[in-house]
Amino acid sequence: MPFDAANLVPILPEIAILITASVVLIVDLYLKDQDKGLNHSLSLIGLVIAIALTGAVGGGERQIFFDGNLVRDGISDLLKGAILVVSILAFIYARPWLKDRGMLVGEFYVLGLFAVLGMLVMVSANSFLTLYLGLELQALSLYALVAFDRDSKKGAEAAMKYFVLGALGSGLLLYGISMIYGATGSIELGPVAQAVAAQGIANKVLVFGIVFLVIGIGFKFGAVPFHMWVPDIYEGAPTPAVLFLGSAPKIAAFALAIRMLVEGLPSLHADWQGMLIILAVLSMGLGNLVAIAQTNIKRMLAYSAIGHAGFIFLGLLAGSQQGYAAAMFYAIVYAVMSAGAFGILLILSRKGFDAENLEDLKGLNDRDSWYAAMMTLVMFSMAGVPPTVGFMAKLLVLESVVRIDLVWLALVAVAFSIIGAFYYLRVIKFIYFDRPAPDAPILVTSGGVRIAMTANGLALLALGLFPAALLSLCQAAFAVQ
Amino acid sequence: MNMNLLFVALIPLMGAALTAWVSRFGRMGSAWTAGGVTLLALLCLLPSAAAPFDGEVIVQRWPWIPGAGLDLAFRLDGLGLLFALMILGIGLLVILYARYYLSEHDCMGRFYAYLLLFMGSMLGIVLAENLILLLIFWEMTSLSSFLLISYWRGREDARTGARMALTVTGLGGLAMLGGFLLLGEIAGSYDLSVILTMGDVIRAHPLYTPMLVLILLGAFTKSAQFPFHFWLPHAMAAPTPVSAYLHSATLVKAGVFLLARLFPVLSGTPEWSWLVGGAGLTTLLIGAWFALFKHDLKGLLAYSTISHLGLITLLFGIGTPLAAVAGVFHIINHATFKASLFMAAGIIDHECGTRDMRRVNGLWRFMPYTGTLAMVAAASMAGVPLFNGFLSKEMFFAETATFFEEHAWGWLLALAVVIAGMLAVAYSLRFIHDVFFNGEPVDLPRTPHEPPFWMKAPVAVLVAICLLVGTLPAYTVAPLLQAASAGVLQAPLPGYDLAIWHGLGLPVLMSILALTGGLLIYAARRPLFALAARLEGRLDARAIYDWALGRTLDFAGAVTRRLDTGSLQRMLLFFMLSALTLGAIGFIGGGSSLTGPRVLLPVDGVSILIALVLVAVAIGTLILHRQRLTALIVMGALGLLIALIFVKFSAPDLALTQLTVEVVTIVLLLLALYFLPQQSPAESSRARRIRDLGVATLAGGGTAALTWAILSRPFDSISGYFLANSVPGGGGANVVNVILVDFRGFDTLGEITVLALAGLGIYAMLRELRLPGPTHDDAGRPWNWDAHPTIMAALARLLLPLALLVSVFIFLRGHNLPGGGFIAGLVTAVALIMQYLTNGVEWTHRRLSHDLHPLIGWGLLIGTLTGLASLIFGYPFLTSTFTHVHWPVVGEFELASAIAFDLGVYLVVVGATLLILVHLGLMHGASHPKQGIQQESR
Repeated sequence: MPFDAANLVPILPEIAILITASVVLIVDLYLKDQDKGLNHSLSLIGLVIAIALTGAVGGGERQIFFDGNLVRDGISDLLKGAILVVSILAFIYARPWLKDRGMLVGEFYVLGLFAVLGMLVMVSANSFLTLYLGLELQALSLYALVAFDRDSKKGAEAAMKYFVLGALGSGLLLYGISMIYGATGSIELGPVAQAVAAQGIANKVLVFGIVFLVIGIGFKFGAVPFHMWVPDIYEGAPTPAVLFLGSAPKIAAFALAIRMLVEGLPSLHADWQGMLIILAVLSMGLGNLVAIAQTNIKRMLAYSAIGHAGFIFLGLLAGSQQGYAAAMFYAIVYAVMSAGAFGILLILSRKGFDAENLEDLKGLNDRDSWYAAMMTLVMFSMAGVPPTVGFMAKLLVLESVVRIDLVWLALVAVAFSIIGAFYYLRVIKFIYFDRPAPDAPILVTSGGVRIAMTANGLALLALGLFPAALLSLCQAAFAVQ
Repeated sequence: MNMNLLFVALIPLMGAALTAWVSRFGRMGSAWTAGGVTLLALLCLLPSAAAPFDGEVIVQRWPWIPGAGLDLAFRLDGLGLLFALMILGIGLLVILYARYYLSEHDCMGRFYAYLLLFMGSMLGIVLAENLILLLIFWEMTSLSSFLLISYWRGREDARTGARMALTVTGLGGLAMLGGFLLLGEIAGSYDLSVILTMGDVIRAHPLYTPMLVLILLGAFTKSAQFPFHFWLPHAMAAPTPVSAYLHSATLVKAGVFLLARLFPVLSGTPEWSWLVGGAGLTTLLIGAWFALFKHDLKGLLAYSTISHLGLITLLFGIGTPLAAVAGVFHIINHATFKASLFMAAGIIDHECGTRDMRRVNGLWRFMPYTGTLAMVAAASMAGVPLFNGFLSKEMFFAETATFFEEHAWGWLLALAVVIAGMLAVAYSLRFIHDVFFNGEPVDLPRTPHEPPFWMKAPVAVLVAICLLVGTLPAYTVAPLLQAASAGVLQAPLPGYDLAIWHGLGLPVLMSILALTGGLLIYAARRPLFALAARLEGRLDARAIYDWALGRTLDFAGAVTRRLDTGSLQRMLLFFMLSALTLGAIGFIGGGSSLTGPRVLLPVDGVSILIALVLVAVAIGTLILHRQRLTALIVMGALGLLIALIFVKFSAPDLALTQLTVEVVTIVLLLLALYFLPQQSPAESSRARRIRDLGVATLAGGGTAALTWAILSRPFDSISGYFLANSVPGGGGANVVNVILVDFRGFDTLGEITVLALAGLGIYAMLRELRLPGPTHDDAGRPWNWDAHPTIMAALARLLLPLALLVSVFIFLRGHNLPGGGFIAGLVTAVALIMQYLTNGVEWTHRRLSHDLHPLIGWGLLIGTLTGLASLIFGYPFLTSTFTHVHWPVVGEFELASAIAFDLGVYLVVVGATLLILVHLGLMHGASHPKQGIQQESR
């Protein structure tokens, strides 16, 4: 069947990332050890080009291409941009860590770029098949990234767990997709939505299909009870890998949920809403409660991620355009916050030392008051304290839940965020009120890292003060449908 | 459009940054800047200041987040104006005072920056028109007060105090967020102008009670109401100017401000009276009691602040319009006398170096001027006539007296407030008597003397206000009070009289009782002190806070220990159980039946037999799974049975593939078995295995049910298209093969590429890898005394040409009959592997090139070139064509271009399979001992 090259235009960002990854893969073969930094530069250039291309091809009417497998719309434009920006931050933060440990090799960048590519594909997907392809590309790259420090037993164990559970999660998702296909005869989102609307919930197969889709989505978000992998992987994996895994993939997971549930199965909203409520309440509860007891900050952030996933679900389950926009806002904001938090951990690490415990943040203010301020912004934002953007994000999702008369759910969410605020405040206490360990050196970081972290931290404040721009983008993404 | 209100709040916030920056150029610069900024904000407020006195409400709004319907909306009515004036006025005095209070080594810039930040947030609260905006500023006051309280970071008590204040008020703010969301939902808007008119709707709403509780949680935590009062005394670790500011007119007043703001909407229900009145009364009493027994000067003031806040809360709780007016009046009065008292305490601390009232005595001789000021302020706090505190206290007594007359148990309230009044008199007396008289100072770190003039000036200003208001209320405070009360009530004001003397009545009697009682209590304070010392720590709400915190932590720890063990098996178990639960919910919930409408096919004996054998063999594999070799062979049987099923369902092609793949897989697994012990150990207990059996049965049953559900439903298969188009479109009758090489040729090209890459990857990994394993048992006997049995070897050699012939046959017929490049490739690979197995690596390598890369390369090249060829003829990539040729012996033969592609598939499959298997075999020395020995000797 004839192929129209115009199909390639909307996926130029993806193509740019693919080319960058391939170039890094080949160039790396010919680089001497001391020149490996070139990989870093190439990756950043590729990402920047991809951002530019996203802007260039983005905007305007919704386009469907590649025989209905891919779509470019407001959602994909915004999410692609967010994923790329967060990935740039991640690469910048990771570089010194990798260099200190002699791991500044092409593989890290190739895997990272392929993960980004997978996320972009997920975001642009218009069929279950494309979604799954993107998901697996992302997941496989991340499995390898988790095991990236080959000599680390913890890393290997984490990767093993991630892989086994991830395979199970993907398998169930695929199982769900196959049932949706069995019930509707299509894997494209649009036709599936039509077929489902026509037959309703009377089809048992469809019910199971939703169940397994929700399980898959819950797994990717790390929502309770499919969260078991999150703390162990966050703790065991090398911090740069966690940085990758804990930030942009949340945006991709959001895209997964939006594409599958909202675009693929809109008429079954009542059915998946119930399941998402269960997952949301459990996630917020367990995530926030257990985070208090953690002494390892990576583990704490893992549980915090679980709790935040519950909040994102609040917006999703509302089933209103306002709710989706709120959830999108939340997901993007969370990715930025998470990147900042792990970025600080990377900044605190040095050769032979990884910042992993809360104690390691002690006296950060005495060691570098600017980074202390940035981490404080991140923590306040995660806790949802105004005027940081975390508050806005929480407010928006809570409001969307209240609007559909699920007042009790909003109250539960508020109660858990009160509990949650505790452990973020504890981090701030360590930063400002405790003396640094006697052997803690002054923090030395490159200018690039400092600029990136400054931008990252201040963005949380700026977005909190002027959320209108991002929010209106989020709302526009859902309004045009 | 007027936007001065926005600037009133923004100027201090922006000024904060400016102040911090200015401090680089000298210490005093920041003080001047802060003062200037505050004056500027005050000037900004002035143009609108007249309107509230005429009963107008100014609302100014700018779009902020149109998407969420949030505006930057500000409102100025009497209440807002009163608070804004207090915040800015007292703020100005505090800035002046602090300039002299702070010592050389305190960073001025930081202090004033924090102070302005706080001032801006506070102004935001009182001027906000929108509840969400109010909440944002509310939390910002929590943050900035945290910064102010922890200003002396080096001190442990400052850090604990600041954290506690932030935790309690911040969390209260979050609760309030919930309350505001509900209020907004009930009223349909977050705008106060809308909400304040909807009192009846809101009070009648079913969500009223939860909403009230949540909002009160916010207000009570902020205003240090019982049981959240404990943070306030700890916040006294802040520099005294901060305390004077935060605990007189601002931070703690934010809570009562909120009560006043929402008074017309929320008050007038039993819930309101009990919650607000109850908390207020308890706080009033507890605060007054503790205030008397604090030896720390600021501690006394802290608890008296708590007590006075309780008084104000109680007034709002009573709920009558007059009580509300009294509450507003007391807010004003408390702000003035408490600010001056804190400043006086700061002066004393500053000059003496300590605040302990057991040591600070007899200061009258050293600082009579300060002493006079403090005495006036303390008298006002005690409610002595002619000072402002008396007026509002009188109104308060009058309200409780009315309450007493109207309610059966009202006398209890009257009694309680009289006791509180006595205690207030007693602690005020103690403040004066202990500090300025009562003997000589005890071992002070510094010799006290009068402070600089400008440090006393702010106190003097405030004390003057106390006096003026106290003596000439009608000419001073009346208009402001009226405007503010109108702002609170949003209704016509009740009649009230600000005269000092109302004639003899119950209120006056209560005042006299309080004054004389207070004197008596103070006289008898020694035994009371002993009693208080014994009660110390019993009535401490902080203990409850600590306890709750500890329990939460314990609980979190327990949950972690139970759930978070890091065991992968447990994770999988939870995962499966959760999936099963959700599945079961879906199964029960949907309502539709599991079985679909499709007519079922009749069951025949062969299928049942195959199925039964399949089940039996599967169970057998499970039972034997610890005998590795046996289990593997049984598994092979399982594969064969599946091939049989394919045959039964008329899919010979699949059956052939399954058969060959099965052989290759078994060989692969056998190679891996070299490195494993013969038997796997039993790793789990019986109970656990039974549990796993249950989970597995459920999961398997669920899958079976789902399969049943799908199979029993009508389904449009895509096979129809391929069946119809196979011969006309692809020129082959074997649909499977046509799909592989034609319809889905691109996929196949991708697949063989992946296969080739996988082969190369495994080769790259295994190339240098030699895993030594035992070739002999304990007694020194070789595992295998005859690695390559002669008969077997000879037979295998005989079989090779036959097998190759079969594979060529399968390959050629593939397009029309079961077969094809993939199966043919596997057959060839199996035939060659057999030579390796039976004759050994060396024997085989002597006869066969062991460089398999060209094979794979050629295969890929041929496949790709076939695809590209179609491009030359102007067709899309991999378009196939076919023609018929007549071969001499074979007869009519169809030659499709796809056959070239199939050849590529064949070559890659042979190459990759051999590459993988041979190198896996080479890893271990058991099958080729000589090589193994060479390796070891190297």
